[in-house]
Amino acid sequence: MIALEGVSKIYPKQSKPAVTELNLQVPEGAIVTLIGPSGCGKTTILKMMNRLIEPTTGRILLAGEDVTDANGDQLRRRIGYVIQQVGLFPHLTIADNIAVVPKMLGWDKRRVTSRVDELLHLVGMEPGDFRDRYPRQLSGGQQQRVGVARGLAADPPVMLMDEPFGAIDPITRERLQDEFLEVQRQVAKTICFVTHDLSEAVKLGDRIAVFAARGRLAQYDTPSEVLAHPADDFVAEFVGSGAAVRRLSLLPISQLELAEIVISGAGAAAKDRPVLSVDDAGRPSAWHHVPGSERRPALVTVPLSATVYEAVDVMLDGHAPVVVVVDDDGQPRGALRWDSLVADLRPNGQPR
Amino acid sequence: MGSYLRYLSENATELIFYAQQHFLLVGYSVALASVISLVLALVLHTNQLTPPSWRRSLQVGSRETALLFASAALTIPSLALFGMLQPLLGLGVTPSIVALTLYAVYPVLRNTLAGLSGVDPAVLEAARGVGMGPVRRMLRVQLPLAWPVIISGIRVAVLIVISIAVVAAIINGPGFGKPLQDGLARLGAVNSFNEVITGTLGCLLVAAGYEIVFALVRRLTTPRGIRV
Repeated sequence: MIALEGVSKIYPKQSKPAVTELNLQVPEGAIVTLIGPSGCGKTTILKMMNRLIEPTTGRILLAGEDVTDANGDQLRRRIGYVIQQVGLFPHLTIADNIAVVPKMLGWDKRRVTSRVDELLHLVGMEPGDFRDRYPRQLSGGQQQRVGVARGLAADPPVMLMDEPFGAIDPITRERLQDEFLEVQRQVAKTICFVTHDLSEAVKLGDRIAVFAARGRLAQYDTPSEVLAHPADDFVAEFVGSGAAVRRLSLLPISQLELAEIVISGAGAAAKDRPVLSVDDAGRPSAWHHVPGSERRPALVTVPLSATVYEAVDVMLDGHAPVVVVVDDDGQPRGALRWDSLVADLRPNGQPR
Repeated sequence: MGSYLRYLSENATELIFYAQQHFLLVGYSVALASVISLVLALVLHTNQLTPPSWRRSLQVGSRETALLFASAALTIPSLALFGMLQPLLGLGVTPSIVALTLYAVYPVLRNTLAGLSGVDPAVLEAARGVGMGPVRRMLRVQLPLAWPVIISGIRVAVLIVISIAVVAAIINGPGFGKPLQDGLARLGAVNSFNEVITGTLGCLLVAAGYEIVFALVRRLTTPRGIRV
């Protein structure tokens, strides 16, 4: 857990503060994404947490301990730090880069080596292949994986990440985000993650902190709350017109009421319900009949574990007004219809 | 040609002695200059001795001032400098080394400062972010990364000093300056031209020797990850 209490930052020779009276609590084991327009002070706020930038007033609490006046270098060894430009040490091997903090903390050699291998595995890099390479021999995505591994090296309870995937191409970025969430499931760190990309903030954050100019915390809530109920005009404008679509990516299909479908051949053909042909294994093979459409639409499926966003995506992609939801074994569980999706999107059970 | 070879073989011992002297004279001067420059650069890189509101060229302890003085030293005519040091330090080795050190400071200092400030700021921020203190940051990160640039500054200093060192002969300094100046003083006499040629070729030989040394040093001291 890391918390800022009444923290302000006034840079010398500037009359207006960069951050004003900020209170922010990052709960244990959660990812909080810090987002806001450029120059809103989100990076300054992040850097005050490990005192790379000293706050002018206020207190910083790390796991309940006041670290406002603790030794900065000692403090930073207890907090993981990952930056956009990665900043690997080009003259050190990958293993030595990751081992920097453990070595400073005086771990013995064997413990350092096994920790390095463990971390390389964790970020999906084969230690035998990468341990002795140098940073310039790695791609951008690989370098950032090593950057994350270096941040995790001494197993710090708190990680600070400053747009770590900002300089990486969109496809690799998406993969790194997924891997990062997977890593977080295993290590459960308390993470502050600065980004300027709203989709990234929504995807990664357990909570989102939206900052306005001069470090004013405009809203601090779960992604779906921020998207559905912006606290003020600033947040509404920042979240923008794409909010409704973005919210779809937070809504798992498993939480929706699915339209019932009938398997063809099993009893009377139902006029008002879609009828599906299945193969021998019970997997959907084609539509037999879809009420309300003259021609039989193309068959598209989406797994039950997907989000509504992905369901909409496959429908648009396949020009299909209806999508079959299948479970892990490929068995049809129901259908999701375009018109009902637009008309009344609601989670099963309670209406919103 | 034949007579030159005869000259060489007759004076071999003496010429090898000159080569040794010249090599060491350059070595001592540049080594001294390197230590001075490195210390100066580290101090300048971390400290500003006068308030930042002063004009940069007036600031004591600013890199601009240090470079200004070092480059001014480089423009003093070598003949004059050796002459001026003679009343203070006498004749021979000491004033020669002092003068050559003055000439070697500028290239080393300039490259050291350039090397230190050329280190990627992201790397330094990361170093601070993982909890490295200022000393560790300098010794473990900044200096190793600046090293190739510093080395090439030292190499330039060696090349400059090798040719200036022949002037040391006017204050009885060691090295190839002696045959060169003897030859020039009595041009036309027996072996005089041979002496001039020998002094010149000797300098080239010493330079070649240092090139080999530098190739080795650079190979051995540059971390593998930043070798090009």
